[in-house]
Amino acid sequence: MRRGLLAAVVVLTALLLQAGLVNPLDLPVGHPDLVLLCVVALAVVAGPTWGTVLGFGAGLAADVMPPADHALGRLAMAYALVGYAAGLLEDVEERSVITTVAVVAGASAAVVLVFAGVGALLGDARVGTSSVADSLTATILYDVILAPFIVPLVSGAARRAEPVTTY
Amino acid sequence: MRDSGRARVVLAVLLLTAFTLITLDYRSGSGGPLRRVANAVFGPIENAVGDVVRPIGSFFSGLGHLSSYKSDNAKLRKEVAQLRSQLRLTDAERARLADEEKLLHLDQIAQFRIVTARVSAVGGSLDFESTATIDVGSRDGITANMTVIDGDGLVGKTLSVGPTTTTVLLANDVKFSAGARLESSQLIGHVDGGGRGPMTFTLLDSQGSIKVGSRLVTFGDIGQKPFVPEVPIGRVTRVVPTPGALTRTAEVTPYVGFDSLDVVGVVVSAPRTIKRDSLLPPTPTPTPSTPPPSTPPATPAATGSPSPTPSRTH
Repeated sequence: MRRGLLAAVVVLTALLLQAGLVNPLDLPVGHPDLVLLCVVALAVVAGPTWGTVLGFGAGLAADVMPPADHALGRLAMAYALVGYAAGLLEDVEERSVITTVAVVAGASAAVVLVFAGVGALLGDARVGTSSVADSLTATILYDVILAPFIVPLVSGAARRAEPVTTY
Repeated sequence: MRDSGRARVVLAVLLLTAFTLITLDYRSGSGGPLRRVANAVFGPIENAVGDVVRPIGSFFSGLGHLSSYKSDNAKLRKEVAQLRSQLRLTDAERARLADEEKLLHLDQIAQFRIVTARVSAVGGSLDFESTATIDVGSRDGITANMTVIDGDGLVGKTLSVGPTTTTVLLANDVKFSAGARLESSQLIGHVDGGGRGPMTFTLLDSQGSIKVGSRLVTFGDIGQKPFVPEVPIGRVTRVVPTPGALTRTAEVTPYVGFDSLDVVGVVVSAPRTIKRDSLLPPTPTPTPSTPPPSTPPATPAATGSPSPTPSRTH
């Protein structure tokens, strides 16, 4: 239960920092996705079931958090898939930094492609070749840069919050 | 790998839920009741967080421009004495005051009634969207579809409104479109946001000519919603060759710097008539009848982004 509370606090903090601090930054190409980093970090500790649930919850919160302006459920779908996949890779972040970075890069690409794919099906004018390319580049690049710092921190906290895993 | 039988069921159920939500919410569009509730619940938190993290953000943004600061070093030394007197104000505060002053100036000429606000959060959703949360809402008299401006020109329009916060669709978003008029002419068309690409102006007249450097203002909508007339939008930087087309297209550099928005104003009411072209920034050589061919405005608004050199008309 304590881990659930920790997950909620971590995801909400990430969402607020994303909208209030990260997105206003004038960075080339795009921005990192803090929520994705937190979902991956929590899911590798919690396993696929809870990884899916927390990915869905985080995505739904991101869909709702103003000033988001897209169909509700698009990010929930993307993060749920990523949470499930990251959950299958048990404690991957403890093996090496390279593995962590590779997992985060794959997760970043997956989130962008699912979000954009659903958008394309719905006829979202914002989804185009150049916007998808930019989003992929920026999200993968910046998430990979931040992963070695954020993922071990969040995973470590999650592990300490509930030392005995019984999922 | 862990046993994932249960996980697969959970995944299937949640994906189906997400799919259902998408189809349901897709119909309600941008201003649905859910967005109002979201603004009511998360808006105040975003306002509080915005107040705390804004100085941190300006610090990091400043780092990006360090090289240009260095080249200005000698000039800045001379200003040290002058700056000492202003030391009590922080950088961020001074920038905000300058923004507010410019906004009030624009407001004064046009006699708009505006509600000033600060940007407390910026939307991204993986960098596909260009939206912002501002810290005023229905309690301040804001409704959906109002023009949002800053001291430099058109910022966007309001989408969904909560009690103390409002979501703004910024003019560089792909979904943004506004009626526009070329300065000192009757030629009208529409300006569309280009996402991370340039804004475009489409002239609804195959005979009309667009010149590089021409400036654009909003045309204004019926009942002044969502757009009040005469708000400066930007200047034409490139005319796109469209042989045989019924419309003519040009790329536009907006006056507003969307990467560094802080103080904005929501126009809650505007006078019946506004003098034509009265809100445009001053030009070095003002000519009443013909638009200046390639004179850049005296104060290019886009701080942070380099002002593009006007390319040749095709």
